[in-house]
Amino acid sequence: MTKYRYVAPATVDEGLEILRQGGGKVRIAAGCTNLLPDMRAKELADCVLMDISGLGELRGVDADGGSIRIGALTTIDEMLHSPLLEQEAVALWRACRQFADPLVRNRATVGGNLANGSPAADSAVPLLALDASATVASRAAGKREVPLCELWRGPYQTAIAADELITAITFPRDAARRSWFIKNGLRRAMAISLITVATAVKQDGCVVTGARVALGAVGPTPLRARRTEEYLQGRAIDAATLAEAAEIVRGEISPISDLRASKEYRTHLAGVLLRRALEAVRA
Amino acid sequence: MEFKQQVAIKVTVNGADIRAAVAPEESLLDFLRKQCGVTDVKCGCGMGECGTCTLVLAGKVVKSCLVLAAQADGREVWTLQGLERDPLAARLQDSFARHGAVQCGFCTPGMLIAARGFLQRSPQPTRAEIREALSGNLCRCTGYQKIVDAVWAVAYGDAAEQERA
Ligand SMILES: Cc1cc2nc3c(=O)[nH]c(=O)nc-3n(C[C@H](O)[C@H](O)[C@H](O)COP(=O)(O)OP(=O)(O)OC[C@H]3O[C@@H](n4cnc5c(N)ncnc54)[C@H](O)[C@@H]3O)c2cc1C
Ligand code: FES
Ligand code: FES
Repeated sequence: MTKYRYVAPATVDEGLEILRQGGGKVRIAAGCTNLLPDMRAKELADCVLMDISGLGELRGVDADGGSIRIGALTTIDEMLHSPLLEQEAVALWRACRQFADPLVRNRATVGGNLANGSPAADSAVPLLALDASATVASRAAGKREVPLCELWRGPYQTAIAADELITAITFPRDAARRSWFIKNGLRRAMAISLITVATAVKQDGCVVTGARVALGAVGPTPLRARRTEEYLQGRAIDAATLAEAAEIVRGEISPISDLRASKEYRTHLAGVLLRRALEAVRA
Repeated sequence: MEFKQQVAIKVTVNGADIRAAVAPEESLLDFLRKQCGVTDVKCGCGMGECGTCTLVLAGKVVKSCLVLAAQADGREVWTLQGLERDPLAARLQDSFARHGAVQCGFCTPGMLIAARGFLQRSPQPTRAEIREALSGNLCRCTGYQKIVDAVWAVAYGDAAEQERA
């Protein structure tokens, strides 16, 4: 007999009520691209699968006033076909282009990608660089905004409580910002990222007036490279700056060695990719 | 709210309405193969990596081992079997045969569905775009070159193909 139960709420409110009642036993099912392989590998304890895939209110990309809002159930393919993201969030759009393969992109959602908590999650790094927050809702606490830099606690561990649901991701619009994303994997399609780098930079002439740098798969969580960001402030992105920034970023990360690459190689690569990602946004 | 151990679903599979009860964790792939006898969707890996289970769900090309059967409730599913009279699927099938893009055939139904979905959206692709579109479908036999040739020939016709050669 199956150890799972199933429920499909008709509204977000109903979903939050189920999460409250479930007392930690409810598992949210969105695109299921992580969930079904996990279940097949028998890693999940018995739980209620709460299927939110029918909640249309959680879908779509739109700009309201000064920010861009992406519903948690928006698929990677939908983001890839959003002209708004292609124009105003190049780093995210580029990450979607390189995400898995076109078939997986039709199912995988951005909310699921962030909630799953993989240090290599491809949407995490550009969204960190774009200074995004997750809107998280629960019956007990209503809505709260979690800046992505506070979302992850460790590999596959997040700050989202068992009774909470991510409803949307938002980040500020900024016409003056240029952003970029680079993913390095072993194969072009479907390889887990060895390392990813995103930059989002504002410049006055050629002087950096604000820089954000994020990296993935180089530590227990996707992370911001704060010291590198501080170093870039007020400088021009020239050869000397690039060389120094690459050195600094190498000191800010703690990649592991595994069968796909050594710690040394990943550390070296982080510097190289940062240089490229900065060259790409240079005014 | 009731937490169900069996989920009653109604799905249209290749044009036929099917009512059934599925387990919460059952994949759409398992449901089709075990309960519906639709066996052109193959299970190569069950983990989303090989693409042999590719089908069209609510107009989108997806890997059915990554979809809960319950999530197909109220939706339309098309597998290669059901696309017999679809002109684009037929042209692709014919082109695969002529180009030797089929060897053992295990990947073929998924490959054809993925190629069809892609050409519908991008009727005039580059070869690189064809490769990217099929990157979620693995083939152990053909080396992909012939598959790409077959899709290319459907997009541009055999004349274009000779020109290229
Ligand atoms: C072949 C293959 C290739 C892949 N390639 C990539 C890749 O290149 N890059 C990459 O980053 N990932 C990749 N993935 C992983 C996966 O596709 C993504 O992480 C995807 O975005 C997960 O979204 P989902 O909707 O399918 O999540 P689900 O599987 O439905 O859920 C994942 C987790 O998040 C939770 N969850 C889902 N939605 C919410 C929500 N709104 N609020 C709170 N919790 C939620 C679920 O409970 C579960 O724990 C790949 C997977 C496969 C099978
Ligand atoms: S069986 Fe679904 S992708 Fe391999
Ligand atoms: S023809 Fe054998 S796997 Fe493709």
